[in-house]
Amino acid sequence: MPIEFKKNRAVFHDVVVVEEAEGLLDWLQNKPAAKVDLFACRHVHTANLQVLMAARPEIARWPEDMELRAWLESALKPAS
Amino acid sequence: MNPLLEQFLSESRDFSQGISEKLMQMEGAPSDQGLINELFRLVHTLKGNSGLFTFPEMTRVLHAGEDLLGLVRNGRIAYSQELADRLLDAIDLVMEMCADIEATERIDASRAGDSARMAESLRALIPEVPSEAPAPVAIHPGATPAGLPLLSEVPEAARKEALRQCRGGEALHWVCYAPVQDCFFQGDDPFFCARQTPGLLWGAAKPLQALPLLAELDTYRCLLQFHLLTSASREELSEYFRYVPDQVSIVPVNPQLLEPSVSAPPGNVQHHSAAADGFKGGAANSPDSPQAPAEDQDEASRERAAALDRILAAQEQILKLDDRPEWSGGRLQSVAAVLVNLARAAGDEVAISEIEAALAECLSSGQNALLLLWLETGREHLVARLSSPSASPAQVKHKPAAGPPNSSGEAAATEGAPAQSAASDGIKFGRRAEDNAPSPRSLKVDQAKIDRLMNLIGELVVSKNALPYLAQRAESQFGVRELSREIKGEYSVINRIVDEMQDAIMQVRMMAVSYIFQRFPRLVRDISRKLGKEVQLVLEGEQTEADKNIIESLADPLIHIVRNSLDHGLETPEVRRACGKRETGTLTIRAAQEADRVVIEIIDDGKGIDPAVIKQKAYEKGIIDEAALGRIDDREAVNLIFAAGLSTAAVVSDLSGRGVGMDVVRSAVEKINGTVVIDSELGRGTSIRISLPLSMAVTQVMVVESDGQLFGVPMDNVVETVRIAKGQLRTIKQTLAAVLRGRIVPLKSLNTLLGIPAAPRANSEHELAVLLVHAGGEVLGLLVDGFKETIGLIQKPLGGFLSGLTAYSGSALMGDGSVLMILNVREII
Amino acid sequence: MKRVLIVDDAATVRMYHRGVLESRGFAVEEALNGIEALEKALETPFDLLLVDVNMPRLDGLGFLKEMRRQQIPQPPAIMVSTEAAARDEMAACHAGANCYLVKPVRPLQLLAHARLMLGEANQ
Repeated sequence: MPIEFKKNRAVFHDVVVVEEAEGLLDWLQNKPAAKVDLFACRHVHTANLQVLMAARPEIARWPEDMELRAWLESALKPAS
Repeated sequence: MNPLLEQFLSESRDFSQGISEKLMQMEGAPSDQGLINELFRLVHTLKGNSGLFTFPEMTRVLHAGEDLLGLVRNGRIAYSQELADRLLDAIDLVMEMCADIEATERIDASRAGDSARMAESLRALIPEVPSEAPAPVAIHPGATPAGLPLLSEVPEAARKEALRQCRGGEALHWVCYAPVQDCFFQGDDPFFCARQTPGLLWGAAKPLQALPLLAELDTYRCLLQFHLLTSASREELSEYFRYVPDQVSIVPVNPQLLEPSVSAPPGNVQHHSAAADGFKGGAANSPDSPQAPAEDQDEASRERAAALDRILAAQEQILKLDDRPEWSGGRLQSVAAVLVNLARAAGDEVAISEIEAALAECLSSGQNALLLLWLETGREHLVARLSSPSASPAQVKHKPAAGPPNSSGEAAATEGAPAQSAASDGIKFGRRAEDNAPSPRSLKVDQAKIDRLMNLIGELVVSKNALPYLAQRAESQFGVRELSREIKGEYSVINRIVDEMQDAIMQVRMMAVSYIFQRFPRLVRDISRKLGKEVQLVLEGEQTEADKNIIESLADPLIHIVRNSLDHGLETPEVRRACGKRETGTLTIRAAQEADRVVIEIIDDGKGIDPAVIKQKAYEKGIIDEAALGRIDDREAVNLIFAAGLSTAAVVSDLSGRGVGMDVVRSAVEKINGTVVIDSELGRGTSIRISLPLSMAVTQVMVVESDGQLFGVPMDNVVETVRIAKGQLRTIKQTLAAVLRGRIVPLKSLNTLLGIPAAPRANSEHELAVLLVHAGGEVLGLLVDGFKETIGLIQKPLGGFLSGLTAYSGSALMGDGSVLMILNVREII
Repeated sequence: MKRVLIVDDAATVRMYHRGVLESRGFAVEEALNGIEALEKALETPFDLLLVDVNMPRLDGLGFLKEMRRQQIPQPPAIMVSTEAAARDEMAACHAGANCYLVKPVRPLQLLAHARLMLGEANQ
């Protein structure tokens, strides 16, 4: 299961494929205060990336993979 | 709306119109270099304008158009109709985007896909050279292509790594990868592709434009683009992106741009965007952009340092030119002027005199050497003096000695359109009064306000008409003659002013027919292309004016007629050739003012209409009876085409080639008190003539009396007034009729038509008053009791439960306060 | 007051450049093409020329060449263009431009260049 939807937290695992995007979008729409845990994620399909960029959820944990983390941080972190 | 944006929209409209016209002209002269140059310039300028704002969707389309036309201009692509078609489509799209901007100050997010497809379809006409096609990529280092401004976002670590690799001999490239929107359906994952880019040093995903709200987000459309900094070679990159060459632009990066000295630390970069400046362009595309302060001191001094660098480098470049054109003296003087001004800015009087001396020497010797020498030796000093106190010492020290002219120019580059950042800097845009002077100043006024003004003037007309009655009463009832005369005198003054006011308000509402005519070149072109016909369109009298309502309600009938002419009137080239006609048919649309009417004629030299066939069909449909079949002449027969039952597509296209719904045209024209007649000669062509009042506001009516009541008959319906002796009346088939000038005219009593139980009254000579009216192509005599004057009045539609009375088209107040009912002639007969 | 002549056929660009320059107190005149620019420049001296490349009648390069041929004090000229290629920049310098900026020009960028070329000290 690439995304595990918990009560108030979406946990990304491994590679999150394009088919997940729709569900992710729905979930984030219904839970604006939800957090996203990316720690175990190795890649997200572009479709998921743009959902995250549009929704800008709070990130509970950034990916362990530093390279992916750099990408996502620049895309998702609000400018300081 | 910000005046700059307004200016942009109005100029865009003019240019789009110009582009369409030029494209159309090119059909007739496909190799006219002047036209091509002009066309290129228009597209180029429009593109340049769009670049001032954040309208990437528009810029993209125009850019593709510009590239395409550039190649046409250079003779590398031949002009073709397909090319014109696509460019016209592109211009249509641009106009739609302008409409978006007009309405919401931004381009609708849904346009992004259209824009990409359109650009692609334009580029598809560019043969091969895929690497050159997408956005002409500047090859020389120091160029400032789109995306490079993001360089300032590259974090320190990646920057250092890039520089290290660069010193190790690797070339640095900036890749902008903008995947097509539907790439997900092709199984692509652009983000994955971007992450795997060879030699990747740093990358960022950016939305093409502001991402929509979650509720409107389409997860299956790719809305992102990727900016990548890589140490791979161009060849490697081309190979890696070989499946999507048109979605990628690759630009070499000048390593100097990565030097910490000229690059702002990432945290310190000012992002200009449309955040709160009141005219958001396409998108406020950097979500992380704080509002820029009016003029950030650091940024200004960075900008100044960059400009100084660039200017010095350019002067050096000019001095090193070894050509000696005729204007080299002036050129040299301008370089000296620049250097003197720099020295002046630095407060260096000594330098100024040195430069002036060197210039004099150069001018007399014809050599640049002395100035060049001064520049090489004096440069350090100048730069040091000019550097502002706020500039860090490092900034001075690290200045490249003589780098490419714009090496550091983009160091402090910022995202977002300049016009928008300008607005955030508190810059005001506006036209100067003198710029407005030569062009007529116009004012946009809500139509409702004009209407209100017109109604008020209408009431004034009526009130003023009460004065003569008042004068009359003053004299006859109260016997004060003097007062009566004075009232009459005042009345004539008021009368004149009201007349002028009425005229003035009419003028305000006047509009040239060109408003409709301008659509025709395109319409005719598109339809005739589709039908495989060759048509030359001739427009005449485009400046003819009429009331706005008239012009607007004319558009649909006219388009209908033109379509019909093209569809059914004009023949294909083959048929025309066979008939011995010129292969290209001619469609003339002509407008002219005749007295107080506007006449519009649509004339084609097509195959015409066969009156015999029309007559036969009309008879079959029961529109005319047997007697009429024999009686009506060809002209009348052809006009049966406007009859309601006849003009159905199936019937008419079969027999005459005339298309659908000419009765629709007729009723639309009649609704605005117009008339339409058709003339046709079989094999030679058809001409349709529409006659319309100049203005709908004032109706001229003839007042007639019947059974002691007054009625108004619109002058548009009146043919003439005659008196007929009772003895000349005939009864033909139970219908009253009279022979007038050799023609039998049916007569009807107005009383009977209105259900008034009274016979028409004859005058003392036993003559009856007959008002000849025409309605729907027929002439008929109305028997009334007498004729009164003809007056102009403002007609009011019947309201309330009276609105059901179709016998009257409206009512009007007379000067004495009485109400005049205006007959709807067509309804009552 | 320093006088700048903006030569551009696009009204939007003229308005934009004018807005930027006037915001910092420069006096601005406009010309719609090279011919008009030449007429204005010969009539009264300008302190700076801001010239577009692509224009009808006489383009920016043609105007600058003609301008530099005249026996009058020669003001600095900034050429603005949408083309970022080196050869375009070379052509501009050859014709008599003293600087070449790629459109769209950012306000601060334009101001920095204008102030320096007009000899204005740092404030």
